[in-house]
Amino acid sequence: MSERYVPDVTVPASVQKEPPRSSLRWIGKSMKRVEDLTILTGKGIYVDDIALPNMAHAAVLRSPYAHARIKSIDTTRAKALPGVIAVVTGAEFAETVGPTLALSCPPIEQRVIAIGKVRHVGEAIAAVVAESRYIAEDAFDLIDVEFQELPVVADPEQAASARGDAVLHPSLGDTNVISDRTYAFGPVDEDFSRADVIVKRRLRWHRSSAQPIETAGAVADYNVGSERFTIYCNTSMYNQISRSTCAGSLGVAVTQVNMIPSLVGGSFGSKWSTHKVFLLAAGLARISGRPVKFMEDRLDQMSNGDNHGADRVYEAELALKRDGTMLSLRFTVTEDWGAYMQYGITTHGNSLAQVVGPYRINSVGARIISAVTNKNQQGALRGMGSEVSNFVIERMTDVAARELDLDPVEIRRRNLIRADEFPYVIPTGNVYDSGNYQAVLQMALDMFDYEGWRAKQKAARAEGRHIGIGLVSCQERSVFSPTEMWSLNDPTQPGFHMTSLPETVRLRIDPSGKVFLQLNAPFWGNSPATVATQVLAESLTVEPSDILVTFADSDNGSQTSAGPAGSRYTTMVSGAIVNAVAIVREKLFLFAAHALGCAVEELELRDAKVGVKGNPDIEISFAQISTAAHYFRLDFPPGPEYMSGLEAVGVYDHPLSAKPADDRSHLGIYYPIMGHMVHAVAIEVDPNTGKVSFLDYVAVHDSGTVVNPLTMDGQIYGGTAHGIGTALLERFHYDENGQLLTASFADYHMPMAQDMPREIRIGHVETPSPYTEYGMKGGGESGRMAAPPAIVQAIEDALQPFGVEFFEVPLTPNRVRKVLRDAQNNPD
Amino acid sequence: MKPAAFEYLKPTTLENVLSLLAQHGSSAKLIAGGQSLVPMMNFRLATPEILIDINGLSSLDFVRREGDSLRIGARATHAVLADSTLVRQLCPLMSEAYKYVAHATVRNRGTLCGNLAHADPASEMPAVMLAVNATLVIRNATAERLIPAKEFFQGLYATAITPVEMLVEVRIPATPRLTGYAFEEVSSRQGDFAMGLVAAIVEVRGDLINSAAVSFAGFSDRAYRLEAVDDLLKGKKPSDSLFLDAAEAAIALIDISQDAHADREYRCDLIRTLTRRTLAKAVTRATSNA
Amino acid sequence: MGSTSVDITVTVNGKVYRKHIPARTLLSDFLRQELYLTGTHVGCEHGVCGACTVLLDGKSARSCLTFAAQVDGIEIETIEGLGTAKNMHPLQKAFWEKHGMQCGFCTPGILMTAKEFLAKNPSPTEEEVREAISGNLCRCTGYQAIIDAVLEAAQKMRNLQEVQV
Repeated sequence: MSERYVPDVTVPASVQKEPPRSSLRWIGKSMKRVEDLTILTGKGIYVDDIALPNMAHAAVLRSPYAHARIKSIDTTRAKALPGVIAVVTGAEFAETVGPTLALSCPPIEQRVIAIGKVRHVGEAIAAVVAESRYIAEDAFDLIDVEFQELPVVADPEQAASARGDAVLHPSLGDTNVISDRTYAFGPVDEDFSRADVIVKRRLRWHRSSAQPIETAGAVADYNVGSERFTIYCNTSMYNQISRSTCAGSLGVAVTQVNMIPSLVGGSFGSKWSTHKVFLLAAGLARISGRPVKFMEDRLDQMSNGDNHGADRVYEAELALKRDGTMLSLRFTVTEDWGAYMQYGITTHGNSLAQVVGPYRINSVGARIISAVTNKNQQGALRGMGSEVSNFVIERMTDVAARELDLDPVEIRRRNLIRADEFPYVIPTGNVYDSGNYQAVLQMALDMFDYEGWRAKQKAARAEGRHIGIGLVSCQERSVFSPTEMWSLNDPTQPGFHMTSLPETVRLRIDPSGKVFLQLNAPFWGNSPATVATQVLAESLTVEPSDILVTFADSDNGSQTSAGPAGSRYTTMVSGAIVNAVAIVREKLFLFAAHALGCAVEELELRDAKVGVKGNPDIEISFAQISTAAHYFRLDFPPGPEYMSGLEAVGVYDHPLSAKPADDRSHLGIYYPIMGHMVHAVAIEVDPNTGKVSFLDYVAVHDSGTVVNPLTMDGQIYGGTAHGIGTALLERFHYDENGQLLTASFADYHMPMAQDMPREIRIGHVETPSPYTEYGMKGGGESGRMAAPPAIVQAIEDALQPFGVEFFEVPLTPNRVRKVLRDAQNNPD
Repeated sequence: MKPAAFEYLKPTTLENVLSLLAQHGSSAKLIAGGQSLVPMMNFRLATPEILIDINGLSSLDFVRREGDSLRIGARATHAVLADSTLVRQLCPLMSEAYKYVAHATVRNRGTLCGNLAHADPASEMPAVMLAVNATLVIRNATAERLIPAKEFFQGLYATAITPVEMLVEVRIPATPRLTGYAFEEVSSRQGDFAMGLVAAIVEVRGDLINSAAVSFAGFSDRAYRLEAVDDLLKGKKPSDSLFLDAAEAAIALIDISQDAHADREYRCDLIRTLTRRTLAKAVTRATSNA
Repeated sequence: MGSTSVDITVTVNGKVYRKHIPARTLLSDFLRQELYLTGTHVGCEHGVCGACTVLLDGKSARSCLTFAAQVDGIEIETIEGLGTAKNMHPLQKAFWEKHGMQCGFCTPGILMTAKEFLAKNPSPTEEEVREAISGNLCRCTGYQAIIDAVLEAAQKMRNLQEVQV
C-alpha cells in the first residue's frame, strides 16, 4: 500500500487525568435525571414564565417583501393607540443599539431592526411595546410603511450574476457572492489522475431549521439608578458570546449587563446566541422605561429566527481504484447563507473536520462559494454542516459501489480506517482520536440481520413490493475548538482568530457536607445537571443526592465557559469538574492530614470522607473538614495553603487542539473527539405515491465512555427522529419571489409519533478517547448526522428496478414521484 | 400571534343566534369548536368584529336516526361521530374517513358542521358529504333551506351559506346495504391536510357497476363530485383500466392546484392511484356484501 | 349586545377563579398570565404542536385554540394538578423513570393527553399509545421513551386499581 498523505500536524500529548475504567460507580449508570421533577410538576421556569412588575410586551412588525427599500415609515397612528407605550423604527432603535453579531470575514453588518432596506421576508421593520402582546399586535395595522420593491435573489447559483439593485450588500461589492475560495488538502490532482474510476454527481441539501417547541425570548429590565441591564433569556452561550456582544451593541460596558439563564425548551443549535431577541428586549426596555418581554411567536421564529441550517449545492467527485479503494474527494459547494452570515462560513470548517467520513481517503479538494440571498440567515443546526458532508460522502460511496458492482457494505468495509491507526490525522489536519469502526459495523450488521433483510428484499421484489435497505457509516465529531470559525477565512485577514473555548465550574463543599456545583451554561434539554452530578459524584466520591447543581448568571459566573455546542458540553464540563475536584482534593488531603496526623500520600477519598488507604478506621468526613475549614482557622497552621474555605474554580481547556498552518495547507486539530455510528434501515416505498414506511431501524453508536446510557439513548432517538425529518419532511421553502411558503407548523412538517419507525434498536460500542476525562466523547448531534444518507440510500435501493438515483433532501413523496416520472419519460 | 379584538356573545337559543346573524351577519362569525377558525384568527387572517359562540345550543348536540337517514346537529363533535356505532351502521364511509381527520384532541372540539361550513379544500368530510349525497340544512331568522351537498361547496372556503345564515344540521341518507365504500388519502404525515383524497361508493349488480359516486378533495379549491366520472363508471364491468379512465376524466375536469408539498403532476399521480385503489376496494366490498 | 370583555368563573385543578378579561384572551394566556399557572406551555398558537393541551371537563383541548370566554363554568385540569414531588402521579413517575422528557417543553401537553387517554383506555397496546400521542410534537425524544413511559404508567395504574379493589 502506498504511503498516504498526512499533513504536517503534531498531535499533542494527552492531558487525561482520569482514565476510562470499569470500576466506575456513577459514570455509566442510567441514573434518573435530577432536572425532571421540577419540570414534570409544571414548576420549571422557562423565560416566558418570568413576569417582572410593570412589565410590558413587545411585538415585531415584519417585512412582507423579500427585498425592498423602506422609503418611509410613519408610526404616528400606532403610537396613539391606547395601551401602546412605544413604537420604534430601525433608525430610531439604532440611536441606542448598534449592529449585532457579525462574525464573517468581511463582516456583514446586520441590525436588530432593519434600517432603510429589508433583505428577507420576515425581517424586522419596527417594534411595538404595549401593555399586552395583543395590543402590540393591534398596532401593526397602524404603522404606515412605504416600500420600493427590489429584485429578489432566491437562487444561490444565480447569485454570481446579480448586479445593482439585486445586490444585498453593495458595500461589499457588486455581487451576491461574498467569497469564493479553493482549498487543497493533499495531492488532489495526482490522486485523481491515478484513479481507475471517478464518479461525479450533483447533490442538493435544502435548508431546514431546529424549531424547538420553545421559541427564543427575553425579559429585560434597565435600571436607571445602577445603569444596568438585567436580561433573562434562553440563549445557550451567554458567557461566551452573548454577554459581550450584548453589551457592545447596547453601547455599555460588560459590567452593565447581567444575563440570567432559565430553563431552555430545546435548542439544537438555534439558541446558540439569540442576539436579536435579547437586544430587542434590552433596547426597548431602555427606550420605554419599562421592563420588556419579547417572546418570539412561531411566526417570528420561522420567518426571522436566524437559525436556518445548511442550504447547499454540491458538485462532487470521488476518485477510486477499481478494487474500491477511495483515493480522493473533490467538490465545489455553493452555500446559500440567506441574507446575512452571522457565523461566517463556520459550517464548512465543521464539514472539513470529518469530510472524509470514516474512510482512508488520501486527499480533499474543496471550493466553497458563499452566496447571500433574500432569505432568513443560517445559524447553528444540529450537525452544523457536517451532517451534509456525511450525506455527500455516503451518497458518493453508494454511487461508486454501483459503478464498481460492489455491495455497499463491502465498499465501506474496504475503506474503513483501521483500529490500529488512531490517532488518525485526516487530510484537512483534523484528528480522529480513537475508534473501532469495524466493531460498530459488525454490531450493526448483526443486530440488523443484513443478510436476512437482503433475503426478504429479494422475496418482496418477486411479489412486486419495493423494499430497500440503507446502511451508512458516519462520523460524529464532538468538542470543537473555535479555530473552525476563522480558519477558512483569508489568512491575511482572518478576523478574530480566537483559539480558546474552555469550560468552567465552581465547586464548593459546605460545612454540612453538601456539595454545590455551579455551571455556567443553561439546561437546554440535554441533562447537564445530571451529567455533572454523576461525574462529580464519581470524582469526589459523594452521593448524587448531596449535590446541588446551580446555573450562574453572567455577573456571578465565569467567562471561561463556552456552553453547549458541537456536542462538547458533557466532555468539557466533566473536564472542568475533574480539575475543580483536583484542587479541592488537594485541600481536603492537607486539612485531613493535619487533623488525622498522617502524611498526605497515605490518603484517599472514599464515600465523602478522607481516610488512610487500607485503614478503614482512620478517616474524617468532608463535613468535618469543611466545618473546620470554615470555622476553626486557628486549629490549623498559618500559611496560604490552610486558608479558609473549601471551594475551587475548575477550568478545562480543549484537551486536543492545534492551530491551522499559516498557509492553511491544513486547518489544524479542532474537532478531534470523534464519535462514530452505523445506521441500518429497511423501508418500503410505494412507487405510486412516493410514500415511505419504515420496516426496521438499527442505530449503533460509539460515543466513547457514556456517562448515562439512558440519556445517551434519548439523544440517539431524538437525533434520529430529527434526521428522519431532515430526510423526508422538512424544508424551509422560499419561492422565486422569496416568499416563505412554509411559514407555520401547518406547512413545516416535523416528525410526529406516527412518522417514526415502530422501534429503533440501539447498539453501543464504547471506544474511549485517550484524551478526555474518563474517555468521554460527545453524542448529542447523533442520529441526525446519519439518518439522511441511510434513508435516501434505502429509498434508492427500494426503487432500484426503476434505475433511479436520489441526491436531494428532503426526499418527499413529491420528489420521489418526480424522479420516477422523469425516468419513465426519459428512459435513457 | 394574538387575535384581533371582538365582541363575544354566547346565546342560549338558536333563535337568538339567527336573529344576531340577521342583524350583524357580515361582521360576525360563528364559533363551535374553533379548531379551524381560531388558528385563522390568531394569524389575523380572520378578524370578525363579533364572535357568536354556539356552544350554548344544547338542542343541536345530536346524532340520531330518523327514518332512513342519519341526522347530525351543529354541535356534534368529530370525536363523537368517529366513535359512533350509529354512524358506522348508517354511513360507514364517514367512519372510515375519520381515521384521517386531524388528531384526537382536535376532534374533541371540532364539529362536523363547523368543518363543512369552513370548507377547507383539503378536508375529508366535504368529500364524504358529496359521495353520500348529503343534504345540508341551513337556517336564517325566518326560513330554512335544504341544500344538496353538490351545490353546497362552491369554492375556496366558500359555501352556499350566506352571512346571515347558519348550518344547523346535516342529513345523510343511509348507505344502501348492497354498496361498497372506500376512502383513501395521502398526506405528508398522518393527520395533516390531504395532498389528495378520493372517496367512493359503488353499487354492484351481477358483475356490473350499477352506480358509482366518486368524490375528490385536496386537489383543487374545493371537494368535487363529477357527473362525468360517475357516468363513465355506470353500467360497466369493473377493471383497473376502467378506474384509470375515471381518474383521467377527473384530471381533465379539475383545475389542479400546486403548492410547497405537491406539484400538479404529483396530484395527477394521486388522482390516478387513489381512484384506482378506492374503486377497487369499494367494488370488492360491494361484491362481498351481495 | 356583546362585549369585548367578559366575566368568567372557572375551576382549575379544583380551585375556583373569577376573572374579568378581554374576550379575545386565549385560554393559554389566561392560565399563564391571569392565574400564573405557567406549567401549560405555548409552542405555536395554531393548534399543531399540542404543548398547550389541557383537560376541559376531562377532555383534552388545545388551550391556544380556545378563548377563555368559552370555558365559563368548566372544570379545567392542567399539569399543576397532576401531582407534586412528594405525591407524584404514576404518569409523572413513569416519565421520570423512562426518560420520557428531555427539555420538558412539550411534556405538560403530552401528560394531559396521556391522562385523558388512559382514563378511556386503561390497557392500551403500544400502537394505541402511539396513536394517542400522535398529535403532540416533541423535538427532543423521538417519542419512543414517551410511549414506554405511558405504557409503564398504565401498568402501574392498573396495579393500583387492583389493589384498591
